[in-house]
Amino acid sequence: MAFLDIEQVVFTYAGRSPVVNGVDWRMQAGDFHCLLGRSGCGKTTLLQLAAGLLRPQSGRIVLSGGELAAPGPQLGFMFQAPTLLDWHRVLGNVLLPVSLQRKPTPQDEARALQLLRQLGLAAHAHDYPRQLSGGQQSRVALARALILEPPLLLLDEPFAALDAITRAELQDDLLRTCRELGTTVLFVTHDINEAVYLGDRIALMQGGRIVDDIAITLPAPRTQALRHGPAFNEICARVRACMDRASA
Amino acid sequence: MNPTPLQARIMSAALFLVLLGLWELAVRQWGLSALVLPAPSAVAAALWTGLASGYFWPHIAATLQALVLGLAAGGLIGLFAGMALAESALLERVLKPYVVVSQVVPKLALAPLFVLWFGFGLLPTVLITALICFFPLMENTLTGLRQVDAQRLQLFRMLGATRLQTLLRLKLPTGLPAILAGLRVAVVLALVGVVVAEFMGASQGLGAVVIAAQGMMDTTLMFAALVIIAAIGLLLYQACIVLERRLLRAHAFPTSPSARSRANL
Repeated sequence: MAFLDIEQVVFTYAGRSPVVNGVDWRMQAGDFHCLLGRSGCGKTTLLQLAAGLLRPQSGRIVLSGGELAAPGPQLGFMFQAPTLLDWHRVLGNVLLPVSLQRKPTPQDEARALQLLRQLGLAAHAHDYPRQLSGGQQSRVALARALILEPPLLLLDEPFAALDAITRAELQDDLLRTCRELGTTVLFVTHDINEAVYLGDRIALMQGGRIVDDIAITLPAPRTQALRHGPAFNEICARVRACMDRASA
Repeated sequence: MNPTPLQARIMSAALFLVLLGLWELAVRQWGLSALVLPAPSAVAAALWTGLASGYFWPHIAATLQALVLGLAAGGLIGLFAGMALAESALLERVLKPYVVVSQVVPKLALAPLFVLWFGFGLLPTVLITALICFFPLMENTLTGLRQVDAQRLQLFRMLGATRLQTLLRLKLPTGLPAILAGLRVAVVLALVGVVVAEFMGASQGLGAVVIAAQGMMDTTLMFAALVIIAAIGLLLYQACIVLERRLLRAHAFPTSPSARSRANL
């Protein structure tokens, strides 16, 4: 039984052609899948459907327990921008998912501080978001998405606005943290390099459909050195060729 | 060369003294009657006598009481009305025309009517002040709460926040700078409202003092009352700024030079 099961999902905004047009996709627990495609191919909409923020017109999205996807603390979500609350300190931002459910306990705080330490932000726990760099803000957003240890993490191009070096660091942080927690991850990106480096599998999306399913056979855990090896570049070239073929 | 804030303050104070000096000089030079324009020294003397003898204090207390009550009532109602209208599009469509009509009627023109209805004294003054304070707070709350960006709203939906949580923990903090700007406007308008309302319907208060002084042809006393009104206005405005600094310390824009330099690191 799949952990996340997307069955024949169609989504249309009123009076337009379908944005997501009959998508089937399955994820096993602990998988790290990337949803790759050009801007406007429907990948963000599909992610919002998986999060339960949108309801499909037909088809359904089922989680392991058999319930339909719905927003809530069982899901971690990361947006394109860090979307932190300026009036809370870093610690308060990380604890937001907790404090919306109940009063945070000392254990919650210890957990948040530990996450911040893992992400190299221990010294910034009591700063305000505006005092941090873009990469640090993204790390805070990642810690916030992980604080409740959600079984499923959905990410919508979270590192798109960062410089290449910071992005690489954050990719490693993400991989390591999710491996430690056993989180299942669906990662949306338009960057072939990023998709190949992060994913076990890539779903190639085009015009509202998944047109290709590419398994990535790179050794895990990934390291930055991998990027310069022939195997990595060969896979990138193959994915690129698939994208070109799909759009031709 | 850019003057420092301290230098700018000194320049401002010096300008004040120069203007006072010119005024004093003009009055003495041309021998103007105190009925037309009393000299600053005479106003200062009247002010001191009034304060020392205790004549002004009950009037100051009455004006402040009406001001605080009116500001609190009008401000709170405005805040809650703004929140309700921001939360419910239906409520906004139904009620907004009435709110606008209530505001385009010149409220000070209602003073005689309120005196007719509620008699002389505190109540009509408070009501007019409240009516004046209501609008800037409602309008700014409405605008402020709408400034929340879509992604933050989605974040709160994603985290399973209730509507009340979204209002209290996302929309209100986002709108706080706008709400406080509304309060600042309301405070200044409220003082004008209290004084003018006291012109018509009060036996106590600084507005009543101005009218009494006019009746006694005591222009010096009138000026002394005006000085006190101006001082109250300045103090209230300053209090608003202090309140803003305290409440908005954590907000996006840096409020102090040290915060700014740290943000740039």
